[in-house]
Amino acid sequence: MNVAITPAMLGQVVVSGILAGALYAMVALGLALIFGVMRVINIAHGPLLMLGAYTTFFIYQALGLNPYLTVPITMLVLFILGALLQRTLVYRVVDAPELSSLLLTFGISIALVNLAQLAFTSNLRTVEYVTGSYTLGPLAFSKSRLIAFVVAAALAGLVFLFLQRTRLGKAIRATSQSREVAMVCGVDVQRIHRITFGIAAALAGAGGALVSVIVAIQPEMGQIWTFKSFLVIVLGGAGNYPGALLGGVLLGLVEQLASLFLTTQLSEAVAYILLVLILLVRPTGLLGGRQT
Amino acid sequence: MRLTARIALVAGVVAAAACPAAAQQAPIRIGASLSLTGSYAKLGSNQHEGYKLCERDVNVKGGLLGRKVEFVVYDDQSAPPTAVRLYEKLITEDKVDGVMGPYSSPVTEAAANVTEKYKKVMVSPLAATTSIFRKGRKYIFMVISPAEGYLEGLIDIAAKRGLKTVAVVNEDTLFSKAAASGALELAKKRGLHVVYQEAYPKGNTDFSALLTKVKSLNPDVIAAATYFDDAVALTRQMKELNVNPRMYGVTVGGDLPEFYDTLRQNAEYIYGATQWEPTLPYPGQKEFLDAYRKEFGHDPSYHSAAGYAGCLVYTEGVKRAGSLDSDRVREALLKLETRTMFGDYKVDADGFQLAHKMALFQWLDGKKYTVWPDELASAKTRFPTPPWNQR
Repeated sequence: MNVAITPAMLGQVVVSGILAGALYAMVALGLALIFGVMRVINIAHGPLLMLGAYTTFFIYQALGLNPYLTVPITMLVLFILGALLQRTLVYRVVDAPELSSLLLTFGISIALVNLAQLAFTSNLRTVEYVTGSYTLGPLAFSKSRLIAFVVAAALAGLVFLFLQRTRLGKAIRATSQSREVAMVCGVDVQRIHRITFGIAAALAGAGGALVSVIVAIQPEMGQIWTFKSFLVIVLGGAGNYPGALLGGVLLGLVEQLASLFLTTQLSEAVAYILLVLILLVRPTGLLGGRQT
Repeated sequence: MRLTARIALVAGVVAAAACPAAAQQAPIRIGASLSLTGSYAKLGSNQHEGYKLCERDVNVKGGLLGRKVEFVVYDDQSAPPTAVRLYEKLITEDKVDGVMGPYSSPVTEAAANVTEKYKKVMVSPLAATTSIFRKGRKYIFMVISPAEGYLEGLIDIAAKRGLKTVAVVNEDTLFSKAAASGALELAKKRGLHVVYQEAYPKGNTDFSALLTKVKSLNPDVIAAATYFDDAVALTRQMKELNVNPRMYGVTVGGDLPEFYDTLRQNAEYIYGATQWEPTLPYPGQKEFLDAYRKEFGHDPSYHSAAGYAGCLVYTEGVKRAGSLDSDRVREALLKLETRTMFGDYKVDADGFQLAHKMALFQWLDGKKYTVWPDELASAKTRFPTPPWNQR
């Protein structure tokens, strides 16, 4: 069925795409960090986001705290969890063939989802905090999605500053470029790995906190985020941090524009076709993969 | 002494073999896979509780054919291929005596291929898609009203109130597609103009682009064939994008208490289709509600009630057949006409449900009131739905 598409409609959809894209970018940045530093594709990234959403939900429920104020707490909880996962499990597969790390993180993913089912049940939980939107001329900015956009953009920016400016951030980038040289320069690589995994988990957790205000929380909510994040980092260039940001916004836009001009049903297909095309033309992603 | 002991023992064994009491005989095992996890987890778990309560009640009343009943339930994770594997396992490895249906049309459609292959009667209480029952299958029985009729009440009220245009959106899965095509059909029949139709993939929670298009057409009615998550997301984004139909109705999910808990005042005025409400005046309703609340500590949804009623229908079929033999139970279920706390049961030669009635409710002041059909209505509909900024 054909609908005449007006500039206002196009504008609305671009707004929605950018709002969604920033969140994709922030969550995917975590996945990109782990891949860049350790060459591990963390399948459990989405389930970590789910745990972040539950953390927010329980704090919100117990203390009635504004869900956006729980973001730092959720990030701290997930940072500790991520560092623990690295220390106990993931460090074993960092130098192993890539299949080992895929299997391990896949296992962690299944375990987390099932533990969540046991502990939290599959009841749908919701954090109803803001509804409605701000309007600007013909454009509507969903309140919950706009706040998610702002927080996600700010956090992604902070992580960038951290990577660029601080000694620790530089050590992370050094490890990502060459572990051996970093080690020779006196960087404690194991510690860097733990911190990296912690930051990645914290970013997923922040994503969970922001998403909890938008969709219902249940143990299975995370997996789709693993796929989206993976798509984002391949689009942008695996292990390339600015690439993850570009990929995120691109994915958000492509999904929304495909929904507008084609159908919502085809939007996912279009995103994956784009992935295949980019891999054909630029196998290392838009901004190129990790430099070695 | 030893000799007498041995004689006593032998006598005991003979006696036990000669007059078997219900408790001593092996129980009748009924197998099912249910969506206990995955995207249908909430609804599948409710159905599971219906089965559990039925199992308890049948056993309290002396069991079935003098034997206890025991459910063997596995989790199909809301995935049709998993259900296929589990029904194979139930029938060939666990060798269960009977099976009951899983949750949802897509899963039932897949599982029915297995139960047909092994000629097992499957009463499927939560499959509402007509096509499942129109493929020449012999052993599958329907309990709830078909998907095509879900939005009949919404369209009927719209037509009576003189509304002109309708937009239909649906999740791209078996049940939702059938509900949407039923709504399209009914709308045309009632002289409403369908201005827009679009399907979206399962798991979709961002409807910005779809609603932007719907908004530009400004339909009088939005009929949405949904499950839970999408119904909530759709409603929230309708508010965000200020989409204001004069009637808005959803199929599944809108009837759950969580729907209101999540959306609060934003759920007001929304219509929902339902197979069953606790307030409907059917026999045994009060006993069912009391027992369910006591057992599980919360109210049943229609999935719970359909699960319970489907299990009653199956056990009634076995009772009338006097056996667990598939063909005899099938004959009994084809002839059966009954009314449970869920409503009427009567099927045609395909096992397709003819007697059960759908109802339409509206969320009003935090409660669901049945507004259609007139003979079951508990309140008058509040019409039209005011714009979001006036609620």
